[in-house]
Amino acid sequence: MFDKVLIANRGEIAVRIIRTCKRLGIATVAVYSDADSRSLHRQLADEAVHIGSAPARESYLDSEKIISAALNTGCQAVHPGYGFLSENARFARALTAEGLVFIGPPPDAIAVMGDKIASKELAVKAGVPVIPGHVDALKDEEEALSVADSIGYPVLLKPAAGGGGKGMRIVETPDQMSEALASSRQETLKAFGDNRIFMERYIQQPRHVEIQVLADAHGNVVFLGERECSIQRRYQKIIEESPSPAVSGELRRRMGAAACDLARKAGYTNAGTVEYVLDANGGFYFLEMNTRLQVEHPVTEMVTGLDLVEQQLRVASGSPLPFGQDDVKVEGWAIEARICAEDPARGFMPATGMITRYAEPRGPSVRVDSGVATGSKIGVYYDSMVAKAICYGKDREAARTGLVQALNGYHIEGIVTNIDFVNSVLCHPVFAAGQLNTDFIADHFDGPRPLEPPDPRLLKLSALTATLVHHVRTMVVREAVRPMISRIGTDRDRADIHQYGVRCEAGSFDITLEKAPAPQVWNISVDNEQFVVETPDFEFYRRRLKLTVDGEDHRFRLRIEQAHCWIAFCGLTHKFEVYTPKEWRLLAHMPERDANGPTNTLECPMPGLVVAVPVKKGDRVYRGQNLVVLESMKMESGVAASVDGIIADVMVSPGQTVEAGDLLVRFAEPREKDKGTES
Amino acid sequence: MDVQYNTTLETLERLRAESMNAGGDKKIEIQHRRGKLTARERIDLLLDDGSFEEFDVLKTSRGSALGQEKTYAGDGVITGHGSIDGREVFVFSQDFTVVGGSLGEAHAQKICKVMDLAARVGAPIIGLSDSGGARIQEGVDALAAYGEIFHRNVRASGVVPQISCLMGPCAGGAVYSPAITDFVFMVQDSSYMFVTGPSVVKTVTHQEITAEDLGGAMVHARESGVAHFTAANDVLCLRKVRRLISYLPSNNRQRAPILNLRDPADRIDPALDYLIPENPNQTYDMNVLIFSILDGAEFMEIQPDFARNIICGFGRLGGQTVGLVANQPAVLAGVLDTDASFKAGRFVRFCDAFNIPLVSLVDVPGFMPGPDQEHGGIIRHGAKLLYAFTEATVPRISVIVRKAYGGAYLVMNSKHIHCDVNYAWPTAEIAVMGPKGAAEVIHRREIKAADDPEAMLQEKMAHYRDTFANPFLAAQRGYIDDVIFPRDTRQRLIRTLQLLEEKEAKGPKRKHGNIPL
Repeated sequence: MFDKVLIANRGEIAVRIIRTCKRLGIATVAVYSDADSRSLHRQLADEAVHIGSAPARESYLDSEKIISAALNTGCQAVHPGYGFLSENARFARALTAEGLVFIGPPPDAIAVMGDKIASKELAVKAGVPVIPGHVDALKDEEEALSVADSIGYPVLLKPAAGGGGKGMRIVETPDQMSEALASSRQETLKAFGDNRIFMERYIQQPRHVEIQVLADAHGNVVFLGERECSIQRRYQKIIEESPSPAVSGELRRRMGAAACDLARKAGYTNAGTVEYVLDANGGFYFLEMNTRLQVEHPVTEMVTGLDLVEQQLRVASGSPLPFGQDDVKVEGWAIEARICAEDPARGFMPATGMITRYAEPRGPSVRVDSGVATGSKIGVYYDSMVAKAICYGKDREAARTGLVQALNGYHIEGIVTNIDFVNSVLCHPVFAAGQLNTDFIADHFDGPRPLEPPDPRLLKLSALTATLVHHVRTMVVREAVRPMISRIGTDRDRADIHQYGVRCEAGSFDITLEKAPAPQVWNISVDNEQFVVETPDFEFYRRRLKLTVDGEDHRFRLRIEQAHCWIAFCGLTHKFEVYTPKEWRLLAHMPERDANGPTNTLECPMPGLVVAVPVKKGDRVYRGQNLVVLESMKMESGVAASVDGIIADVMVSPGQTVEAGDLLVRFAEPREKDKGTES
Repeated sequence: MDVQYNTTLETLERLRAESMNAGGDKKIEIQHRRGKLTARERIDLLLDDGSFEEFDVLKTSRGSALGQEKTYAGDGVITGHGSIDGREVFVFSQDFTVVGGSLGEAHAQKICKVMDLAARVGAPIIGLSDSGGARIQEGVDALAAYGEIFHRNVRASGVVPQISCLMGPCAGGAVYSPAITDFVFMVQDSSYMFVTGPSVVKTVTHQEITAEDLGGAMVHARESGVAHFTAANDVLCLRKVRRLISYLPSNNRQRAPILNLRDPADRIDPALDYLIPENPNQTYDMNVLIFSILDGAEFMEIQPDFARNIICGFGRLGGQTVGLVANQPAVLAGVLDTDASFKAGRFVRFCDAFNIPLVSLVDVPGFMPGPDQEHGGIIRHGAKLLYAFTEATVPRISVIVRKAYGGAYLVMNSKHIHCDVNYAWPTAEIAVMGPKGAAEVIHRREIKAADDPEAMLQEKMAHYRDTFANPFLAAQRGYIDDVIFPRDTRQRLIRTLQLLEEKEAKGPKRKHGNIPL
């Protein structure tokens, strides 16, 4: 085993690897960029080496700096984590040349699996089923049409390079081919400098199921069950689980055996993942092999009881696997949710800021892999994933409800996250039924919100929580001023029953609070449905609340904003307005205000770097026209005008960093202003 | 019971009923259609259920020289007292449905009566304005009546909190009553305030402008600083008034109520250790610090949209109301300019008048430079804030968070103008000016003569930063009482407020000082 390992990564995966190293008594060296100088992975490692400025190219992707850091600190091996240099064969070779061990597969295996064509050819040779398709890049439209005829529509156009869904097109009928092929080529050329396009059958209602394999240098290959990662948004996985509700024991054995065959054929060692697409009839087809530790590896660890990083380290140091296939037992169920700093309400744009409050859920079956803590700053330079929450249960439902509860109590302030969005996925009845496919989000969600109306019971629980908070907070003031009140006469405010009218965008509620004789217990009716609620001592500063409703514990997160109360619970996030009966009655006379009235400014939707401003003062622009191009989290995107108008002022210039909400462009005042009349 | 007596009771009932519905159903309906509540509905929302006691229900005008025919019971304003969360307040609510809420002699006398009583018993006075202005038919009597109200506003100033809610029009001289009061609330879209209205503006200057653009809630919240709070509608406005009252004592002899939000006094916040960016040119949001240290993260900001480079508002520390004055580095780098100085100066004086301790959070790079500011009277306005802080005798604590440069440092409640306790974070930079400016002045010749002036400048800046950009020199001199860990700020402040609870300070005997108004 190694004595000292450098971790060429950051964030949660670096922290996670450091933890295993510590347990095994291996010294750790972290690397960090300017942006990570106060980060958790730097603090936890035994040593830390600064490797450059914030952009990944100048730090985490700079293999020379990382190799010299490893050499200077006397490391024997480098763990690449995932992303960055983890699937870079040249980096692996360079390490080997310096006498360092790359904790991962041999460079040749990385190279072959990194090539879509070569890997597919190898899979065919290994007898692994592949999606019917054409093994060569398409020459032209004519060939595309004939190949499509032989495969059968619908077909998928897939670029040779890259990933993340860039350049992919679904073609359903021959007349769509020309345009789809052209745009696919253009997009992939722009993104990856390669315009080779392949074609394969498009699988409808596909599930994404992958097999974890582990191979040592002594010819032993095992698989550790499967993971289902069908819940994806724009080809990014957000929820993963193991096992898959769609995989039977027999299917698992076949998928696993095929994966092991492929690994052997490739001369693979260390941990790897064979990704399949699984169709509705149990047919599975090879997609690709990821030659690294996956983000979602913890679900496998929880159902197998293994530590994959430990196994990676053992295998890399030359030890044989300490167990065989028959020793691998998959028990129970584990589900993981990826927690990302992104704003679901703003089209899942990356969010930045400092984490001002951070509290992870805890419990015997809950695991959180996190790279952040209170005070961490989330910038624009790296991936937006900050943590993963994983929950184990004896069956799928236990794991699911456990994770829902855990996310209800996962408290992150200061940055916007997708916690409530992933929770709304976990709470979706179709997800609960295990009916997954990779179109799940597109089919069941409109932006951040589920298409179906929320579960009325969950909504009622949220509403009663908001009401309780409002009521108790009001009562605190009454108590506080008691010493200042005239003592002449009697107290007039001794009512035990309190009525409220409560509304949020999902509905209105009649809520009655009645203090029960027992301390901290309330009888609450919401639209005539009765609840018995036990509360803790209210400590508003926590902004987390555990209520016992009809004997069941529930956790709520809350935020009091002016006169209203936001409640986040089971994926529902609503701003509740709580009114006394007289306020409620008079509210009928209050005008509804359009909160997003006409705007004559363009605000920055996400933090990033201004790359280009293709317009100037005085230009007439049209709604939808891109006025500013931003680079954020390695992606360039345009910010489009929300109105037709003339530009009065451009407030930013290329090279400038901007925050979400910054003013980018101001439009000239609309000429036809609605002139109010004097009363 | 004899017949005569029964008739008298009936008469009283009839007159009261008339007064309850003085404007008539049709006018009430119009009021509602405009998105406004009636004067009585507003009082009902503002006060605790059933607590309102009305005065002068039957008072009417004496008619006018023009031979105004009809008189109305109550004369267009409802006055009386009631409680907010149990505490007595006085209230007058102008009734737009009765002769447009116009102010005549009787109307004003009713208002004056409750103002006098409020000052005498030491209870806040809350005015809900919705008035077309002076009742022209009453001529000079109406003007005289305004004067009486102004006089009482001034007499009550600093004795009881005075709050104005603008819930309809308020034009001409009438604006000066709210202007004198401590806090002005405006309801969006339904209220406006101006000295001269759009029609006069058009006649005199030929400018076309709407009432909303001339003196609407947003204009006064953002541009003029007249409005301290705005609300989306009447219901939310009145709720906000109740909230403000919860922070305040009822008069200048009391202290504000202690509110136990069960937020531990010794709560530490590790996030604060990371708040200040490593790069001194980067900004951060002062609100993170404010919301972190205050009880229950509750903060009621005054004039949140005006002079946003300074943050003023009420919060609680250990249950006690404090007035918070903080520079906001995220806006104009937190400089002091004319508007910021005026905003904070008036707020500081309110707190001092009503026994509310002051806490300042300092990150100020200086006064705003430039001819606009100089010609706009930054000298006069900056002096207001300096005067206000210096004059205040309530407990005064200052925490220097980052920059504390030059005169602006002195103004921001520094030890040198006798704040009681002055803390600094380790990130504090207490100096005459920023490193660049200082290096350029001190080492002008060396920099000019250097082969690489830019490199020399950087070197001198670094030297200056190492020497002065820290709190330790000031701490050695005793100007800083302690350099504290950012995470401990809350507990240190609460501990210090305990220490200062019985503070007594008296100024020299004088009629009053001469604040540079």
